[in-house]
Amino acid sequence: MAVLQMQHIQICALKSNRKRLLEFLQRRGVVELIDGPEADDVFQKDDVTPVRAALEREIQAARRALEVLERLAPEKTSMLASLNGRTVLKPEVYDAFEEKAPEVAAVAARLDALEREIGDRQAEILKTETAIEALQPWVRLDISMQFGGTRKTAAFIGSLPEPMRYDEIVARLAALAPDAGPAAVEIISTSNDQTCIFLLTGRPDAKAYEDALRAMGFARPASATSVPPAEQLTRYKAQIADCRQAIESARQEIIGAASCRGDLKFLIDYDTMRIEKYGVIGSMAQSKSTFILDGYIPKMDAERLQRELESRFDAVVSLEDPDEDADVPVKLKNGWFSDPVESVVDSFSLPGKGEIDPTSITAVFYYVLFGLMLSDAAYGAMLFFGCWWATKRFPNMEIGMRRMLKLFQYSGLATIFWGFIFGSFFGDIVTIVGKTFFGADIAFPTLWFSPTENPMLMLVFSMGVGVVHLYTGLICSFYQHWKNGRYKDAIYDTVFWLLLITGLILMLIPSSMFQDMSQIYVTFPPFVNTAAVWMSILGAIGIVLTGGRDAASLPGRIASGLYSLYGATSWLSDILSYSRLLALGLATGVIASVVNQMGSMLGGGVVGAIVLLLVFIIGQLLNFGINLLGSYVHTNRLQYVEFYGKFYEGGGRPFSPFGVHTKYFKFEEDK
Amino acid sequence: MGMLLAVLGAVCAALVAGAGSSVGVGMAGEAAAGVITEDPNKFGKVLLLQLLPGTQGIYGLLVAFLTLSQIGVIGGGAVEISLWKGLLYFASCMPMTVVGYWSAIRQARVSIAGINLVAKRPDHMTKGMILAAMVETYAIFALLISILAVFGVSAVNI
Repeated sequence: MAVLQMQHIQICALKSNRKRLLEFLQRRGVVELIDGPEADDVFQKDDVTPVRAALEREIQAARRALEVLERLAPEKTSMLASLNGRTVLKPEVYDAFEEKAPEVAAVAARLDALEREIGDRQAEILKTETAIEALQPWVRLDISMQFGGTRKTAAFIGSLPEPMRYDEIVARLAALAPDAGPAAVEIISTSNDQTCIFLLTGRPDAKAYEDALRAMGFARPASATSVPPAEQLTRYKAQIADCRQAIESARQEIIGAASCRGDLKFLIDYDTMRIEKYGVIGSMAQSKSTFILDGYIPKMDAERLQRELESRFDAVVSLEDPDEDADVPVKLKNGWFSDPVESVVDSFSLPGKGEIDPTSITAVFYYVLFGLMLSDAAYGAMLFFGCWWATKRFPNMEIGMRRMLKLFQYSGLATIFWGFIFGSFFGDIVTIVGKTFFGADIAFPTLWFSPTENPMLMLVFSMGVGVVHLYTGLICSFYQHWKNGRYKDAIYDTVFWLLLITGLILMLIPSSMFQDMSQIYVTFPPFVNTAAVWMSILGAIGIVLTGGRDAASLPGRIASGLYSLYGATSWLSDILSYSRLLALGLATGVIASVVNQMGSMLGGGVVGAIVLLLVFIIGQLLNFGINLLGSYVHTNRLQYVEFYGKFYEGGGRPFSPFGVHTKYFKFEEDK
Repeated sequence: MGMLLAVLGAVCAALVAGAGSSVGVGMAGEAAAGVITEDPNKFGKVLLLQLLPGTQGIYGLLVAFLTLSQIGVIGGGAVEISLWKGLLYFASCMPMTVVGYWSAIRQARVSIAGINLVAKRPDHMTKGMILAAMVETYAIFALLISILAVFGVSAVNI
């Protein structure tokens, strides 16, 4: 309907009421607050950064805790859960949570610690397992690995870097230390890349054997245990078991805390709200015992809020219309029919200064164009009833999602309409089933004509729809100029163009070129033909004379006027762009028919029926999905590029009120 | 010979446009999976963006099917057609073949950019989709001309 009128609001209240007043404002969510005046002798601003940082950390901890819970004790959710919307709570729950918050924050911290504990223990297990592996070759050694010998003997424990047999070792030692006394060599283990040995000899020969061993590449084990390896192994295994148990008990504790999930979510929401509140506190001007809030409020909500604030909080509220050049935020308000299209306008851009709210006019064309592209009665019915059911089943749905579904629901209705006009119901399923199973020649009623049989007529019709759409845009532009008192612009930039384009179209329709292509034969009375010629001439002259009115010199004016006449080519491409209505409509109908035809290839009978049913369900669902996507994006495109190109620029700043911007919960609206 | 050319045209439309789409959807799918590793909840959004370059393959299939059914290779009633008519069918399939291939790949690049956009600002998915749809416009125009041409050629008597 319209862009809501905004008022500038200033609230002055006592600091003792600050918390309650801000919480009230936040729940109401109707005021957008702006930065207050700069600090001076009387008014100061609080530094809230540390508080906000602390809250931010608490949120992070709670998020991590939720992630841990989700990993170890996943919550069962249905596919449609996202349609549920946020859970509704009474405002008292928020007030009561203040006491509980530290407790929940502690739970979050505990879950975080447990998660870290699990990680540490897992790392320890890995480390121990590596140690066990290193110890494995030494298991048969039944003394300490650090054993260096007795008073009379010297022992060498270590590995040689290649697999060797006992006799080889003895022979090498004898060769390397020919003069040394006897020594006992024992092979502990042999593998592909090493031989672990134990060598015992008398003290006096120790030096000789050490040199000999070194020459053979002897190395002492990297980690020599003080107890015999077998015993150490048992110790390691006990350590791993300990870690496993610690992990398991941490895991159990986490799973046991799954009931806190709701509280953790609430903590996130609670802190999110507090962060927003502290943001406000940081930007407002405060004296020793009062504070001042500045902001914008939609006029429709203003008086009620003023009344409530003044009666509840000893506050002074002043309302005034904003200055002409103030940066006023934009909020739209529309009835049930166009409300869903607000999201479409919103994702383009909100109306800028002096622009009209294009929502309702966009809505009419949105549904019509969408229906023309999908153009199948059965698909339309699926869309309509599906969205209708979903919005009924999930009444608490978020506003964005609801708008989307409503947009599709109304578009579905338009699709049903066009489906009947063009005689399409799952393509030609009625005819196929009639022919295959009953030998009957029946067809879904076609109220006007079938685009597959007469594509040229559909092409002309599509472009006709385009012309209507573009003209509407131009009329909106005229209205906008007129409303803002730019009467000359209104005439120069829209009326001349209307004259030129209408004249050209009227000249084109009776021409033989058009008639050959479209097979549509129209003859106008002679005066219309004459009028058409004069309209185009008048329009063209007008455009050449006024199109360059910003230029300084006369030749410059004419030159840029001629250049703006060249803009007629953009009209050509704009109108041709609507041929996508035909192409997408054909794509829906023809693919649906192809699916039906493939399904019916096995002929009648039970087997044929089963095959047809299977192919039908899968193929039609696929076609429905693909074309739904196509219709959605291309309807948007026609609106954004062709239609808005004629009059709408946007650039308005969205109204973002101080409110409850939570993720999981929202409050009951108090009436 | 005419029949051969007509079938060749149909096959080209399905084959080349389909190849373009599979390359495109594949590229977009890789980007989409990357986003999902960060945030699995964005699956629905990136899936839509991944699908966008897939339509060219479907359009190619559509043109192929129309051509094959016009010349009676499917649905029965195939008769010998002249060399010239076959050539005309072949030419009719070319817009969808060539434009389908290139636009699918170019559109995939825009889709990937859109997927990256969704990764950072999920609220602006529609904008990413519209940008990708801008490329698809030309595939739609090619489809339109191919369909009109195939219908038109079947009415031509040479």
